Amino acid sequence: MPTYYKWCSVKKEKQKHEYPSLEVTNHPLRVEVHNLKHNSNKSLLKSLQKWSSSFEELDPLLRFEQMDLENNSEPTIESDATVNYSKIWSVKRTAILNKYTTGEKLTIISSYLPGGEKTLLRQVSNLNEKVKHRLEQLDDFDESSVRKTMGLSQQEFVTKIHMLDDEIKKAWETEQRVKAFKIAIQCSKLLSDISVMQFYPSKFVLISDVLDNFGKLVYDRLKKKSFGDAAIELEDIDSGLVPESARETCQNWMFKMASIRELLPRLYMEMSLLKCYVFISKDEIKPAIARLITMIRGIGNPLVAIYIRVYLCKVASALYGKESECYFHDNLKEFLEEYQQIFQPAMAKKFGAQLLTADKYLSLYIPAIDWLLYGTLNTIPCKLTLLDELLQLCDKTENSELLLYCIVSGFDSPNIIKKSSAILDTIKKSAEHMVLLSPILSALGEHLCHADVYRQLSSEALSQTWWKIVSNMKSTANFLQVLEPWIQFACTQLSAQHINMLLRGTIRYMIKCGKPIDDYSSQIQLVVKRMLKSIPDVEELFLMDAFMPLVELVQTSNARTMMAKTVLLVFFERCNSVQIEDHIIIASLMRLCCILHEAINAVTVEDELKISSDLINKYIQTVSYQDDAREQLNFYVECRSAFIKLDSVLKTLVHAVHALANRARPSRSRWLSRACAAYSFVTVPSLQCALCRAQLYLLGAHAALLVACVGQAEANLKAFVSLIPDIPLYVQEDGQNKPTHVKVVGLLSNFLSTLLILPDNVDSSSKAYILSGFIKTMERIHWRKTDPLYYTLLLRTLDLLCNLTQEKYIYHIDGVISNDELYGSEEEFIDVLENYATNICQELLVVLKALGDAKETNKQYNLALELFWRIIKRGDLREGSMTSLAINLWVLSQKLQDSNNKFAKTLLSALERDTSEEGRLLFDKLNET
Amino acid sequence: MTASLTISLKRVNKIYHEGEIIAGVVIVDTAADLRHEGLTLTMEGSVNLQISSKNAGIFDAFSNNIRPINLINTSIELAAAGKMPIGVTEIPFEMPLVGRQSSMSLGLLETYHGVFVNVMYTLKCSMKRSFLNKPLNASCQFFVQYKQQERPPSKPVRCEVSPATLRAGGGAGAARGTVPHFQLYAEIDSTVCALDRPITGKIRVDECSVAIKSIELQLVRVETCGSAEGYSKDEFELNIAVIFEDDYLVTENFPILLLRSK
Repeated sequence: MPTYYKWCSVKKEKQKHEYPSLEVTNHPLRVEVHNLKHNSNKSLLKSLQKWSSSFEELDPLLRFEQMDLENNSEPTIESDATVNYSKIWSVKRTAILNKYTTGEKLTIISSYLPGGEKTLLRQVSNLNEKVKHRLEQLDDFDESSVRKTMGLSQQEFVTKIHMLDDEIKKAWETEQRVKAFKIAIQCSKLLSDISVMQFYPSKFVLISDVLDNFGKLVYDRLKKKSFGDAAIELEDIDSGLVPESARETCQNWMFKMASIRELLPRLYMEMSLLKCYVFISKDEIKPAIARLITMIRGIGNPLVAIYIRVYLCKVASALYGKESECYFHDNLKEFLEEYQQIFQPAMAKKFGAQLLTADKYLSLYIPAIDWLLYGTLNTIPCKLTLLDELLQLCDKTENSELLLYCIVSGFDSPNIIKKSSAILDTIKKSAEHMVLLSPILSALGEHLCHADVYRQLSSEALSQTWWKIVSNMKSTANFLQVLEPWIQFACTQLSAQHINMLLRGTIRYMIKCGKPIDDYSSQIQLVVKRMLKSIPDVEELFLMDAFMPLVELVQTSNARTMMAKTVLLVFFERCNSVQIEDHIIIASLMRLCCILHEAINAVTVEDELKISSDLINKYIQTVSYQDDAREQLNFYVECRSAFIKLDSVLKTLVHAVHALANRARPSRSRWLSRACAAYSFVTVPSLQCALCRAQLYLLGAHAALLVACVGQAEANLKAFVSLIPDIPLYVQEDGQNKPTHVKVVGLLSNFLSTLLILPDNVDSSSKAYILSGFIKTMERIHWRKTDPLYYTLLLRTLDLLCNLTQEKYIYHIDGVISNDELYGSEEEFIDVLENYATNICQELLVVLKALGDAKETNKQYNLALELFWRIIKRGDLREGSMTSLAINLWVLSQKLQDSNNKFAKTLLSALERDTSEEGRLLFDKLNET
Repeated sequence: MTASLTISLKRVNKIYHEGEIIAGVVIVDTAADLRHEGLTLTMEGSVNLQISSKNAGIFDAFSNNIRPINLINTSIELAAAGKMPIGVTEIPFEMPLVGRQSSMSLGLLETYHGVFVNVMYTLKCSMKRSFLNKPLNASCQFFVQYKQQERPPSKPVRCEVSPATLRAGGGAGAARGTVPHFQLYAEIDSTVCALDRPITGKIRVDECSVAIKSIELQLVRVETCGSAEGYSKDEFELNIAVIFEDDYLVTENFPILLLRSK
C-alpha cells in the first residue's frame, strides 16, 4: 500500500439543484410550537411542569392510598339512596383505632388466657374468709380461675383480645357453648374498666367486634337449627315457622343472658344476641331496643354509657338499616339529658389522675356523639329545626362546647353557614373557658369555606367577631390551626383589604406571643399554602403589604427555604398567566428565589437542587418586561449574579437571553444582539460541566452568526475548540455514569457544519483559522486510533474540507459573507485545505491499519468503504493518486468481506450510474480486480 | 342380654297445659328377643312438702314428714305380656293430662322446684318381667304450666323506699343510724306475671345524700307451707341484678327487667 496519497477535491458546478427542495408555507418545527400555544391557553406552566417532572411513577405508598380511595369511593356512590351503616361504621371504626392509641400499660382480666398473674379478685376481709380463700385457691386449678394480666402494651392488648376472639370460636366449635358465652361476658366486662381512658374508644371497637362475632355464632347456629343450610335472610325469617327446639334453645340463651348479674355485661350480651329474638318473636326486637335505650341510664359513667349507646345503635342499624335511625335519635336525646355527667368533678378527678388534659378527655366522646348525630341527621326531615333546637340547648347549658363541636362537625355546610353567626355568638359567650375552642372554630371555618361566593352573607361581621375571639387565644398553635380555614374563608369571601388586615393582625399576634416563631413554621406554611390555593387571583396576594412579611416571619434558614419553596410551588401551580409583568410580584418572587438560592450549599442533595432550580427556572421563564428589552436584559444580569450557584439556572438564562436577542432582531438596533451575545459569552465560563459549556458556546456562535456578529461567533468557536480536550468521557446523570461519546459526535458535527459558514479571520496569518485550530487540537488529544469517535470525526472533517473548496457553498446565512465569497476559491486557500485533507486522509489510512492490527475487521471494512465513498463522491478521480487509493480501498474491503454486502453493493451501483468518464474508468477497473 | 327402655316426648320443651294430650314414644332397645309380662306407663304428679330446719320444732310434734299430695295418677298398659323382637321397637302413646277430680285441689298445679316445696310431674314406664329378672324402668319428667291467659289489665304497684321503710333484720337494725338519707320511688308494672315473661317496672332515685355505688334488685321467692298448725314461710333469693352502677347520683327512671331463671 503506498504511503502517500494527495487528496484533490472535485469542484462541483451545479449547486442549485443538488438537493430536492420544495416551497413550504410554514416551518416544519413550527407545528409543534403551534400546539404548545393551544395548551398555553390553560397554563403554559403546567405543560412545562409536565415535561420537567421526572417522576411519572407514583410513589408506591401514595398509589396504595389512591387505590384505597378508589375502592372506598365506589360503593358510596352506589348506596346513595339508602345509607349503608355498616360501611360507614367500618370507616369510623378504622378512624377510631388510628386516633385513640396509648403508650400506657393496660390490664386485662380473664380466665381464658394463658399466663398472667393468678389472683382471685376477691377482697379478703376476715379470718374466716381468708381460710376460705386459701381453700379456694387450692381448688383453683380448673379454668374458671380469674387471672389478671397487667402491664400490657397496646399491641399486646390487641393480640390478647384477638386471642379471646379465637378462644370463643374454638370453644364454640368444640361444643363448649357455655364457655364461649362466659368468655364473651368477660370481654364485655373489660369495657367497664376506664383506667386508661385515651384507649377506651379503641378498646370499645375491639371488644365490640368480639361481641359481634359471638352474636353471629349464636345466630348462625339457631338459624341452622331452624332452617338447615338454607340461605335465608333475617328479614325473611318467620318466627311462626321456627321449630320448637330452636325456639327453646333461643329462649334458653335469653334466660342465660338475663341472669347475668352485672349491668354492663348484661346489656352488651343482650345487644349482641338482639337479632336472635327473631327466633322467638319478631315483634320483640323493637320493644327490646327501646327498653335497652332506657336501661343504659343505669350506667353512671358517661364514657361507658355513650359507647354502649354507640354499640346499640350499631346493632340496630345492622338489623333495620334505615328504620333504625329513630333509635339514634332516642339515644342522642338520652345522652343529652345526661350530658352534664361528663363534667362531673369525679370524672375530672379521674382523667386528671391519668394525666389527660380536658380537651383530650372531651375528644374521647367525639366519635361516639358523631355516630349518634350522624344517624339522627338522616331521620330528621328538617335539619335546620334540629340545629336550632340543639343550638338553643347549647346556649342554655353549661359546658356546651363538646356538643357544639359535634354539632358543627356533624351537620352539613349549608345549614351551618345559615346559623354561623348564631354559633359564633354562642362561642363568644364562653370562649374563655372552652378547651375545644380551636377545633370548634376551625370546623366552623371549614364549613364557611364552602359558602357560596355570590351570597355575601355578613362575612365581614363574621370575620370581625371571629377575630375578636381568636386574638385572645393563648396557644399559638391553636391560633394557627384556627387561622388556616378562616383565612381561606377570608380569601374567598372578603376583599383584599380585609385579608391584608387579617394578615397584619396575624403578624402582630405572632410577634406579641413571645414564643420563637420558628416552632410554628410548618403551621404558618400551611396557612400560607391555604391562602395561595384559595385566593381567586394569586397575584393579588403579593400586592398586599402584609403577605411577604408573613412569609418571612420565620427566621431559621431551613424554615425560610421550606416556606419559599412552598410559596413558589403553589404560586406557579395556580398562576394562570404565562407572563408576570407586575414589578412588585417580580420583586417578591425574586426575594423568595434568593432565599431558595441562599440555602444551597455543598451538602445540598441533588433532588433538592433540582427542585430549587426548576422553580427558579420557571420564575425566569415567566418574568416578562414586554417590549422593554433593556429592562429584561438587566433582569437577566441581576438573576445571573443572584443565582450563580445553580448551573441549570445559568443555562436557562443563556437560553432566555438568546431568545430575547432573537425576538428583538428585526426591529432592534444591533446593540441588543451584541449585548446578548456578550452576556452569554461571559456567562458560559462559570458553568461546571464542560459539555454544557461547549454546547452553549456553539449555541452562542450560532446566535452571533444569525445577527452577523462574526467576531463574537469566532470568539465563541475559539473557546469551543479550546474546550474540546476538557470534555469528559462520562457524565453523571441520574446517578449513573453515561458516556458522552454520542453527544460529542453530534456536537462536533454541528460545530463542523457551522464552520462552513463562518468567514475566516482575515487578520490571522493562517487560512481557515478556526478549522486549523481544531485540527491541531485533534492532533493534540491522544485519542485511541481505533476509537470510532476519532475516525468518524476525521471523516466529517474531510467532508467539511471538501465542501469548503467549492465555489459556492451549499448553505449561507443572510448578511454573513462566507469563505466562498471571501476568497472566491483563491488558489492559496484551496491549497491549504487540500493539504489538510491529504493529512487527514493519511491519518485515516493509519487508522485503517491500526484497526487491522487490532483485528477489528468489521470496523475496518466499514471505514474502508466510507473512505472509498468519499473519494468517489468528493475526490477528483482524474488524479491518479485518488483513483489508485480508491482501488486499493476497494480491494481491501473485498478482501475483508465479499462484495455481496449491502453497503458495498449500493456504493458500486451508485458508481455504475456515474456518467462521468473517470467514474466509468474506475468502475471498469474495479470490475477487473 | 341387655335391654334398655327410654321415654321420648314429642314436645321438645316438655311443657304441657292442663287438658292437653301428652304424646310420645316408648323406645325399647334390646339385643335379643325379650320376653315380658306387660309394659305399663304411669303418669304421676304430686306436691312434696318438706319441713325446714327452722320450723322443725313445731312440726316435729306431729309428724316428721308430710305426706305428698297426689295431683294426678293415671296408668295405661302399653303392651300385653308377650315378646319384644330384637332391635329397636317404638311404642307410641298418648295420655290426656287431666287432674284428679276427686282431689281437693282445683286442678293441676304448675311445676315448681323449690327448696321445701316441690311440684313434680313424671312419666314412668315399667316393664314387668318373669321371675328372676328385674323389671325395667324408665322415667321422664315433664312440666305443667298454666295456659296462656289473657293478660290481666296491668295494675302498676307503686312503692317508696326510704330509711324509714327499711325492715329491721339481717343486722341492719343496729346500723340504722348509719344509713344515709335517701328516697327511692319504684313502680312495678304488674304483680301478676307470666312465668316466661319478664317483670318490668322502674325505679327513680329522688334523693340521696351520698354517691351511689350501685343499686341492686333482688327477686325473692317465698315458700309458705301451710298446715293446721300455721304457716312456715321461707324466702330465697332468686335473681339479683345490678341496675345501676358507678358513683354518680342521677335521679332518673331506671327500668327493671328481671327474668326468672329456670
